[in-house]
Amino acid sequence: MDRKLFALMALLVVAGLVLTACAPQTVTVTVPVKETVQVPVEKTVVVPQERVTVRLSGWAANPQETALLESLLYRFSVENPNIVVKYEPITGDYWQAIKTLVGAGEEPDIYYMDIFQFPFFAKEGVLLPLDDLMASTGTRRDVFIPDLINAFTYEGKTYGIPKDFNTLALFYNKDLFDQAGLAYPTDNWTWDDLKAAAQKLSQPDKNIYGMGVPADPGRFPIFVFQNGGRIMTEDFSDTLLDSPEAVEAARFYTGFYFDKSGALPSDVGEGWQGTAFGKGNFAMVFEGGWLIPYLNQQFPNLKYGAVLPPKGPKGYGNLIFTVAYVISKNSKNPEAAWKVIEFITNEASQTTVLESGFALPSRASLINNPYFESHPESAAIFRGANGATPFMWGLYGSDVNEKMGQALERIYLKGQDPAESLQQAAKELREILGK
Amino acid sequence: MLSQAQRRKLSEWFTAYVFLAPWFFILFIFVLFSIGWAFYLSFTDYNLFSPPKWAGLSQYIRVLRDRDFLQHALPNTLKYVAVVVPIQTVISLIIAFALDQSIRFRRFFRTAFYVPSVTSSVVISLIFVWLFSKIGIINQIFRLKIDWLNSPTYALPTIMMVNIWSTIGTMMLIFLAALQDIPVVLYEAAQIDGANRFQILRHVTIPALRPAIFFVVTMGVIGCFQVFDQIYVMTAGGPLGSTTTMAYLIYKWAFGSTNIQMGRASAVAFILSLMILVVVLIQRRIIEREE
Repeated sequence: MDRKLFALMALLVVAGLVLTACAPQTVTVTVPVKETVQVPVEKTVVVPQERVTVRLSGWAANPQETALLESLLYRFSVENPNIVVKYEPITGDYWQAIKTLVGAGEEPDIYYMDIFQFPFFAKEGVLLPLDDLMASTGTRRDVFIPDLINAFTYEGKTYGIPKDFNTLALFYNKDLFDQAGLAYPTDNWTWDDLKAAAQKLSQPDKNIYGMGVPADPGRFPIFVFQNGGRIMTEDFSDTLLDSPEAVEAARFYTGFYFDKSGALPSDVGEGWQGTAFGKGNFAMVFEGGWLIPYLNQQFPNLKYGAVLPPKGPKGYGNLIFTVAYVISKNSKNPEAAWKVIEFITNEASQTTVLESGFALPSRASLINNPYFESHPESAAIFRGANGATPFMWGLYGSDVNEKMGQALERIYLKGQDPAESLQQAAKELREILGK
Repeated sequence: MLSQAQRRKLSEWFTAYVFLAPWFFILFIFVLFSIGWAFYLSFTDYNLFSPPKWAGLSQYIRVLRDRDFLQHALPNTLKYVAVVVPIQTVISLIIAFALDQSIRFRRFFRTAFYVPSVTSSVVISLIFVWLFSKIGIINQIFRLKIDWLNSPTYALPTIMMVNIWSTIGTMMLIFLAALQDIPVVLYEAAQIDGANRFQILRHVTIPALRPAIFFVVTMGVIGCFQVFDQIYVMTAGGPLGSTTTMAYLIYKWAFGSTNIQMGRASAVAFILSLMILVVVLIQRRIIEREE
């Protein structure tokens, strides 16, 4: 009896585990690749030329983006039969993996480089300057959005070709605005408009808040910029987190939390404010273009819009998040690697990137693309780059981020005064910077 | 000339090492060499990209003066060990006692208590993030409004709870095996001598369990000093450094930074192993003295 019961229980437990493990996730995946990847069967006998292999690595953000890159590489392979591109996406912790590979001298010829990580790689001289290669194909720097290509320039040399970028936009939930009887945000909003709307939209008893104000070093800085401040000095040798502009920005930003017109994602039980926005807990959030495919997949019925972030006392300010293709200094085929980069960042490829809806292309000329007319949210994010600051705080970027996040946490969780909290952050940071 | 006995000994020796060879190979490359290399790195300035530069004891000195280490990593690690090890040992011992009795459904309970130990710690952590969220089940049951994992006060205790819950299964199993190993004659003799249940527990069961207790406490101490995955998944060392432990600090300096500090991370690793060694030696002393 005892034994039979146990067997039954065990069976149920195992069955439960198996079922949960295998439960198929229903995710509607719209693959935006227009071409089906089919090899045209065309058996012309090619005069044997030497084929070179180029390895390319990046993180695999989502299957659609991977498919997009693969389709671009396929097109490249059709035009360049002598160059074999081996795409080796890295899953898991990309930076841990790529840094270890570089340390061992085993890195791929081409890899993704985030602007936030760029200073360390540039300083260590593990990247190949691209200026000569660019000249060899007549690729000019000024075809790319200046802020992007400048961000990947170190000591006067170009080290990366920006593949795409994002800025922050003010995303708003149309239904919540309609219910509150408010007009939708515009590109000309000010801090006062933002505050007034957030207060009207908040219904804390219903778990609805006007705005998400996470203690996130990737969101808060735009308020510092809008207030005329900076996070770091021009040469990144010192921090300006304790400047009056930054303190005032922190007071404004965290003020949403204290008068309940805003909240942290964890207040509504979420880890990310994008989810809270999708579920209708937050009426407004500052997020980048990555939110658009996420909302379309997870919350297809949500009615939302996106506009430029509001202007602060000192005007406009925003962050640029950008990733480039770089070539390793150890590459044995830099010319072939350059050909690959040149192809996947050219006008045609960048148009494909834009039309896929995942990321914004780095070429300035694409601003007139008709895609933007039908996708005002993406247009807001593209236009956002004008006058924005790259998300990069120098060699000690991760420490700056950590101290900035902790300064906000101290204000939220311990009720510390913003001035005091930012002074503490600046002091701790100067110890690290060796000031 | 070798005598026959010597020759046989030599051939036995040879055979033994041939069988051991694959394992030795792995030991040297992946354990001894790695430890030696890390030990060397702890005396250098090394960022993975440039060759290590000799720095003497400066990394150790920097660590021992570092704010993150002194204010967060060291006290949090010690607190974690001091709280988790006794609680998980006592709870698993009590459960083992209970399940050693002939109660109903004990096989079911034995399995149920063991399941967390065979579940991935990352999965367990994710489940607990959900249970302990501000609108999670725990808050709803107890009618609380605590943001467990985002509060500097509650974040570490929450992670302690997760770890206690997920490790008691294995420890219970070890105690259960040890309990069933105690010869019945000892209990019978004690009963004939007129010992009551408490006396039997104090003078027969506990002394017989001593090796198992030593083993469980040692494994618990080592595991707790090295706590990492739950923290990585649940809080990433925050909020305000309240869950930054030594193992997490090693990760942060070695890989989680834009400016890699392999030397300093290695120095923390050796300070950590030294601490584990000292604690385990003290513990062995105590157990030996009682015997």
